[in-house]
Amino acid sequence: MTQPQHENMLEVKDIKVYFYDDEGRELKAVDGVSFSVRRGETIALVGESGCGKSVTSMALLQLVDSRGKIVGGKVIFEGQDLLLLPEAKMRTVRGKDIAVIFQEPASALNPVYTIGEQIIEAIILHQKLSFRQAREVAREMLRLVGIPEPEKRLNEYPHELSGGMKQRAMIAMALSCRPKLLIADEPTTSLDVTIQAQILELIRELQKKLGMSVILITHDLGIVADMSQRVVVMYAGKVVEEADRTEIFKNPLHPYTIGLLRSIPRLDREQTKLETIPGVVPDPSSFPVGCRFRGRCLYESPTCCEVPPPTLVGNNHLVNCHHWQEVRQGKETARF
Amino acid sequence: MVFYILRRLLFLPLALFGVSLLVFTMIGFLSPYQRLATFINSPERLKSDNVDKLISFYGLDDPIFIQYFRWMKNVFQGNLGWSYVGKAPVLESILIRFPYTLELAIFSVIPIIFLGVSFGVLSALHHNKFLDHILRIFAVVGWSFPDFVFGLIVLMVFYSTLGWFPPGNLSIWAEEIVKSPAFRHITGMLTFDSLLNGRLDVFWDALRHLLGPVLTLTYVEFAFILRITRSSMLEVLRRDYVRTARAKGLEEKAVIHKHARRNALVPVATVSGQTIVGLLAGTVIVETIFNRTGIGSFMAIAAQQLDYASIMGGTLFFGLILILGNLCVDLSYAFIDPRVRLD
Repeated sequence: MTQPQHENMLEVKDIKVYFYDDEGRELKAVDGVSFSVRRGETIALVGESGCGKSVTSMALLQLVDSRGKIVGGKVIFEGQDLLLLPEAKMRTVRGKDIAVIFQEPASALNPVYTIGEQIIEAIILHQKLSFRQAREVAREMLRLVGIPEPEKRLNEYPHELSGGMKQRAMIAMALSCRPKLLIADEPTTSLDVTIQAQILELIRELQKKLGMSVILITHDLGIVADMSQRVVVMYAGKVVEEADRTEIFKNPLHPYTIGLLRSIPRLDREQTKLETIPGVVPDPSSFPVGCRFRGRCLYESPTCCEVPPPTLVGNNHLVNCHHWQEVRQGKETARF
Repeated sequence: MVFYILRRLLFLPLALFGVSLLVFTMIGFLSPYQRLATFINSPERLKSDNVDKLISFYGLDDPIFIQYFRWMKNVFQGNLGWSYVGKAPVLESILIRFPYTLELAIFSVIPIIFLGVSFGVLSALHHNKFLDHILRIFAVVGWSFPDFVFGLIVLMVFYSTLGWFPPGNLSIWAEEIVKSPAFRHITGMLTFDSLLNGRLDVFWDALRHLLGPVLTLTYVEFAFILRITRSSMLEVLRRDYVRTARAKGLEEKAVIHKHARRNALVPVATVSGQTIVGLLAGTVIVETIFNRTGIGSFMAIAAQQLDYASIMGGTLFFGLILILGNLCVDLSYAFIDPRVRLD
């Protein structure tokens, strides 16, 4: 999967995050996920809620919550395996090299500190500036993310800002140390549609300006089409398919990806009812053996009890399915 | 903010009227003969058929509301009556004793909150591990101990066995110094006054007498703060902003002591406020066990002796403390949590 002609800023190799519930059962929330991110690229991690996309992203920073454990894999960031770094070194990566924007700006900002205090804290920590200089930078960042009257906002508490403004402040905080990689974990899910578009536009604009890479975590394929160059589709803790954006939308080869794409409402087709994928996402404690999409898949066969091998099908297109050829043929026959 | 305080203060006379009426009515259930006792200072006056005359002289057989309004009229003139127990006017009896209780409350509240919060945070950080279990057992034992039992244990161990913390307020030699005209009474609190008078020996003596009750109150009360802090901290540690703080690259120390703890303290402030008010409004049992002068033991004796002028005066005083204390607690929210707006 390495791209010799481009430098990979981040390579995630076979990362595994297991959770342990009260009865001591092992829940394989993320089970051998690999992908890579090139410099300046936006990659989308797509999947339903609970598929492990957020856990994967938190594992990059080793911020999985206390019940979860990273049990294997490598997170190679600029040639260095982050999982081998001591905690003190890791802290200099967090917030400085890799920053995060969270889903709910309302709960991700600390209610008892002002916006300014929260942004300045990160700047002083990583850039060793004086308070006055840090405050200057913070104000500049607020202006950059389009918050009016930044001087005044610095002294305001999160509850005094609207949802969209909070998310802008969150972005300002994340970007204040000019990270090389930004993890945007469903950055617009809790915002209303017009604000969504503004926030996404802002992220894209800042990405260009600052030249950073972005990992965009979302379940909204509309946003994927809009923002990303590469798409990684996850299902039940595993990557099922990975390809360039156009390839994924034009030529999806995993039955789950196809199902996901079919369930988007489309304006150019007569539809009375949205298509859905039959069944529900299995519980992490009872993932099926072999292909985890087993039981919901139209192409299922006895071979699916074995773990599907990752297959490179050209054009940087990777699919984890025993039946990808049938899927391709099936689609071709459907086209005729 | 100012309006908020004014509005709360407007409520004050209303509440005091309510509690005083309630307590007065309850005292009214005693027969006039029982109540007459507090008006009599020598048996001479009870000769022959004087008793009924005395009752009508003091108006003790009037309807209860007339008696109440008579009492209230006196209160408005600044006269709370004569305290039989304090052998002085009620107001004076209360004001002399209150500093002792205040002193005990100040010395107790500092370790209660400090230990409660620190151990609560520690307990939360070691959630379900050994230290957490130990601290919780320690706290539950303290919380379940009646203070009179624990007080007696403290007396037994630290006074009769070790001889460290004697009961009472002062030793006799120190009392003589305090009562001498050269000793200036500024705060009414023995430790502070002895320091202000430059008498380190008296200070040390007063402190030794304080430590027994302080130890008792601390162990019994800090457990509650610990439990509130622990559960509040556990909840806060799961919040998104704690994850945000970690994602910023902050040290775990800063994450916990800056970002998590301040949020966790919001409910702790309520409980601490109530604890302080409770301590001020009389640590009756502890003062009695340790034989200390203070408003708690004063009220206990007044109630035993049916000294109803003292009881009524004390009721008003406690009501005042309770309402002002709660107001201070509410004001403190606004400082801890900026989302709270007082208007």
